[in-house]
Amino acid sequence: MAQGRAAATGDPRRRVRFLAGSALAAAALAIASWATIFANDLFSPGDFFSGRTLARGADFAAALLGFHSPVAPAFVDPAQWAHKGRLAAETLGMSVAAAGLAAAGALATFMFGARNIMVGSLAPHDSRLRRSPFFLIRALFTVSRAVPELVWAMILVFVFTQGTLPGIIALAIHNGGILGKLGSEIVEGLDTRPIRALRSTGASWMQVLLYGVLPEALPKFITFLFYRWEVIIRTTIIVGFVAAGGLGTEFRLAMSHFKFTEVTLILFWYLALVLFVDVTAARLRKLAQ
Amino acid sequence: MNEPVSERFLGGKGALTAILLIAFAVSLAGIGWEDGVFNTGGLRAIGQIVAAAFRPELTPETLGIGARSTWTTVAYAWAGMTVALVIGLPLGVLGSGTVVRSDWARRCNVLCSRFALATLRAIHELVWAWLFVAALGLSPIAGVLALGLPYAGILGRIYAELLQDVPAAPLRALRGTGASEWRVFCFGRLPMALPDMLSYTFYRLECGIRSAAVLSFVGLGGLGHHIQISLQDIDYSRMWTFIYFLVALVVIVDVWSSMVRHRVAIEQG
Repeated sequence: MAQGRAAATGDPRRRVRFLAGSALAAAALAIASWATIFANDLFSPGDFFSGRTLARGADFAAALLGFHSPVAPAFVDPAQWAHKGRLAAETLGMSVAAAGLAAAGALATFMFGARNIMVGSLAPHDSRLRRSPFFLIRALFTVSRAVPELVWAMILVFVFTQGTLPGIIALAIHNGGILGKLGSEIVEGLDTRPIRALRSTGASWMQVLLYGVLPEALPKFITFLFYRWEVIIRTTIIVGFVAAGGLGTEFRLAMSHFKFTEVTLILFWYLALVLFVDVTAARLRKLAQ
Repeated sequence: MNEPVSERFLGGKGALTAILLIAFAVSLAGIGWEDGVFNTGGLRAIGQIVAAAFRPELTPETLGIGARSTWTTVAYAWAGMTVALVIGLPLGVLGSGTVVRSDWARRCNVLCSRFALATLRAIHELVWAWLFVAALGLSPIAGVLALGLPYAGILGRIYAELLQDVPAAPLRALRGTGASEWRVFCFGRLPMALPDMLSYTFYRLECGIRSAAVLSFVGLGGLGHHIQISLQDIDYSRMWTFIYFLVALVVIVDVWSSMVRHRVAIEQG
């Protein structure tokens, strides 16, 4: 990366050529991708681009709105509203627990994933020894965030008890990796002068981290945490598809039992949750600044 | 920023810290702990899963499937991104409220497109996917749309913000020459916001790859599909092979996108 930066800043012509090449590659990939989509076995243009697709879509929309439903639609039943509301509250709880665990994991590790702290200019003299934990932590961040939360949930239902726990841990692992990486990048971008000043007073490496780096990095970290919470509330319903708990499981059940008016009610609560978290997170971000 | 560090975090932000810690504690208490933490055999499963991470299945057959499904995942991501661009760009331009001068029309434009964008991105791509598969049947178009719509919502919102945030002085100069609002947009606003828009699009591409991998959960092919099948067969070694394909793919796109973003940032100066 360091050499790449040097080369990139050195020669503007190479830089422009790289960008033009990237644009061309992106366009070529787009064409090839659409070709692949159209060549898919599941795709039959004659069937898809016919009145049938439209009719099926219209049927589904009608079912969501409760037309030709044999029983009374779920969204006119107060008991259903209360039931889905409780599940929404459970979903909110899961998202907070997941965000908290992710933050705890990331807070414990993010400084040790920062290049300048571990191997660069702020590292202690025996920085060679710290090279391996640095690479280990960076690799952990990469794997945990490259694997989507849904896949983590699929794996973790083998490990944890049936309930909300596997979903929460799955969300925490994925988002912990993202927060850890973002946190490390905050530390790498810090103004190092106050930290150097602290060290020149004779503070040990650990003291420098606790009293110099952590307080400087924390406000931005908290801001990122609130941004992630907005994403987590949207994905809490997703892990519920494979693990138990909250609106996600209810959505899966309602879809597989063709109770489409319940799906509508669940989607309403889902949107209400997302709106609530977006507004609350924005408030908290302001409070944190 | 002048007060001592301890005050900034324990004095100034004490209330916020307390709120966060209490919310976290309450949410943890809400988990049903009475059944214990681990499944029967759960700890053994962890051991097997971790051990399998070090010996992924590397038979030519598995690697072939991995390579093919990697391409399927890339194809869904890229096709979805094109849909996101086609929908998100116009909505973002309208949502920025910069192309029309009349106050009333602008407010109407901004409100409608912002609302559309918010709705698109509020619903997760996998929920879209499930709804589309239920509505249109198991077609790859359902997957592409499912990815494209929420990403259009995200791209459009960011485009609108970037278009609003360009410096005002050059725009005033353009208006002074008598340019219409549309020309000011084409020759002032858009060129100034374009680098950041490009950077953000490339960043979303990286997220799109991950999202495309889980779209297969509703029955469309790709890496997620094979991860799911391996898990159903409790074949952890095979699962790790596909996970490593996914990790490698994400890392490659990540590196490419950060190279592009870095060079764009330099060009911008």
